[in-house]
Amino acid sequence: MWGFLPRLKGTLRRMNILIIEDEPKTGEYLRQGLREAGFVVDLATRGNDGLHLALEGQHDLVILDVMLPELDGWQVLKGLRSMGRQMPVLFLTARDQVEDRVRGLELGADDYLVKPFSFAELLARVRVILRRGRPEQAVATLHLADLELDLLRRRVLRAGKRVDLTAKEFGLLELLMRRQGEVLPRSLIASQVWDLNFDSDTNVIDVAVRRLRAKVDEGFEPRLIHTVRGMGYVMEIPEVNA
Amino acid sequence: MSGGLRLTLTARLTLLFTAVLLAVLCGLGAMVTLANQAHFVDLDRDYLTDKAALVRKVVAGSTNLDQMSQRLQELLQSHTGLTVRLEQAQQTLYGEPADTFPGDLVSTTGRLEPSDWTWDGSLLRGAAVALPTPVFLGGEAAPSLRLLLAMDTHHHIHFMQELQRSLLLYLLTAGLASGLLAWWAARRGLAPLRDMRERARRVTANQLDARMPVDSVPVEMAELAQALNTMLERLQRDFQRLSDFSSDLAHELRTPISNLLTQTQVTLAQPRDAASYCDTLASNAEEFQRMGRMVSDMLLLAKTEHGLALPHRGPVALHEAAQSLFDFFDVVAEEKGVTLVLEGQATIQGDPLMLQRAISNLLSNAIRHAPEHSRVRVSVSNPDNTASLCVDNAGPPIAPEHLARLFDRFYRVDKSRAHLNPDGTGLGLAITRAIMEAHGGTVSLASTTEHTRFCLRFPAA
Repeated sequence: MWGFLPRLKGTLRRMNILIIEDEPKTGEYLRQGLREAGFVVDLATRGNDGLHLALEGQHDLVILDVMLPELDGWQVLKGLRSMGRQMPVLFLTARDQVEDRVRGLELGADDYLVKPFSFAELLARVRVILRRGRPEQAVATLHLADLELDLLRRRVLRAGKRVDLTAKEFGLLELLMRRQGEVLPRSLIASQVWDLNFDSDTNVIDVAVRRLRAKVDEGFEPRLIHTVRGMGYVMEIPEVNA
Repeated sequence: MSGGLRLTLTARLTLLFTAVLLAVLCGLGAMVTLANQAHFVDLDRDYLTDKAALVRKVVAGSTNLDQMSQRLQELLQSHTGLTVRLEQAQQTLYGEPADTFPGDLVSTTGRLEPSDWTWDGSLLRGAAVALPTPVFLGGEAAPSLRLLLAMDTHHHIHFMQELQRSLLLYLLTAGLASGLLAWWAARRGLAPLRDMRERARRVTANQLDARMPVDSVPVEMAELAQALNTMLERLQRDFQRLSDFSSDLAHELRTPISNLLTQTQVTLAQPRDAASYCDTLASNAEEFQRMGRMVSDMLLLAKTEHGLALPHRGPVALHEAAQSLFDFFDVVAEEKGVTLVLEGQATIQGDPLMLQRAISNLLSNAIRHAPEHSRVRVSVSNPDNTASLCVDNAGPPIAPEHLARLFDRFYRVDKSRAHLNPDGTGLGLAITRAIMEAHGGTVSLASTTEHTRFCLRFPAA
């Protein structure tokens, strides 16, 4: 019933992800979650196994825990880069020390997440990284069902009727439309739409989405903006319930 | 205890004191010895001068050689230890043979300058004097007379040896006595130090309330004791903070964990349909997110409270930061019909993200507590280069007992959780305070009957 599985276009190659994580539960759940999100996933629990797998295989992304037995995350990353592997790397760290970030980014990590993180957040970041480097479709309009977003004239039509949105509401809708089918966590929405890069303990995002929904969805069928409890928001045409 | 020569302070002081005393006494001894020797030289010169004058008188008063010899014999025989020789052109007129005296003894007419030599085992001190030649020996035309005088100085030597022996004895006795005295004095003087050591020994993690005596110790050590006390106070405060921190965290996590456990176990207790499982999991996820945020906030607090340097320092326009937060909080404010107003401007040096967070906490707090259709006013000002940012909202007065404690971790005016901000961690204001302290500033709260006003004040630029 939840729609955070992306609607994979048939032609799209399935992305390969390698997880190197020594904590068995974390590793297993990440593998399951990413598999169910449509990725091909390998899992290694030790640093040198992970490095070996990464050098052998063709992974589009490596998710790397910093604290690993034998080779730690930094060393694995160094090893990868020294062998000329330039695939993006996302770091998982339990320490959010500034030095860690600087060090990771200096070594060529593409992003990092501090534990505890939410899976929705991880998934959203993974997609951002994998989308990088691929040219964003230079489209003038975004469509979903009978909702149309005119990016040039910054106009929104639902079932042919004009919907008036504020600038921030338009930004929010654009984000949801561009990432349709993906569950977007609140923190990601706050950072993308309002450029607010810390977890705020307010319900601002909920209120903003509720107001947007009132304008875009109320009185129309099908409903397009959905709440995924415990995870975030997703925009999609709901599957017809059997 | 081990390795090399590591003396106690008492031993050092004792040795130092004794060494100084011995050096002083040695100096004194040397001075006494030298003064005595100089005095003996003076005495001997006087004696020799006196004898020379006598001989001169006898020589001048005699009429022939025999008479002179006889009179000299009478005069000098009672003076034991005195050696006399009278010669004219190296010919002995009276007294001892020439080899008693050294050949290079120079005759003087004025003040005698005695010199020392040894002869036949005795130490002699003597001088040569030129005398006018009497008539019976040829008068002024003949070669002048030369008087050689010497005295045995063995009694001086004896005296000096005696003196040196007693000086040495005294030195040894004094050294020993002063060493003992110094040891006793050092021990007594250092007694406060031992007292401090005893007190320091009793300080443990659980007993940080011990303090060093300040008034009863000497002035020099009072400063040390004062410094130690300041250190102990700081340690006690930090330690208290640390233990409060852990107990607060444990306490705050207990309720959500127990909720999660209960809810999960109740759900598991009997078979249910998929929808209620989903419901439980979703509710759990929300609770977990809140706990995760709480842990992150606690970590942030721990870091800022322990004086972590601000990672990114740069110019921050307070009014711009507030304006961008207005954009964010706009929807929530609008829902309540609350108007957000911004006045003034100021730019300070700080960490943009941290400051945004500090202001955000105040703003969300103000909007939450503002009555519907009221105003929340953010006023930025920069008088005398000390910038401040104040957030005002209308609202009921806050009781004085809450005012100061409102910035404490997890402090809640309303103890029941029912009225709580469901997304809050109870750390917002504590984080704001910690961020301000990391910037060298303060946060204050004033509450009147109609208004609540939080102010961030930054140090002078």
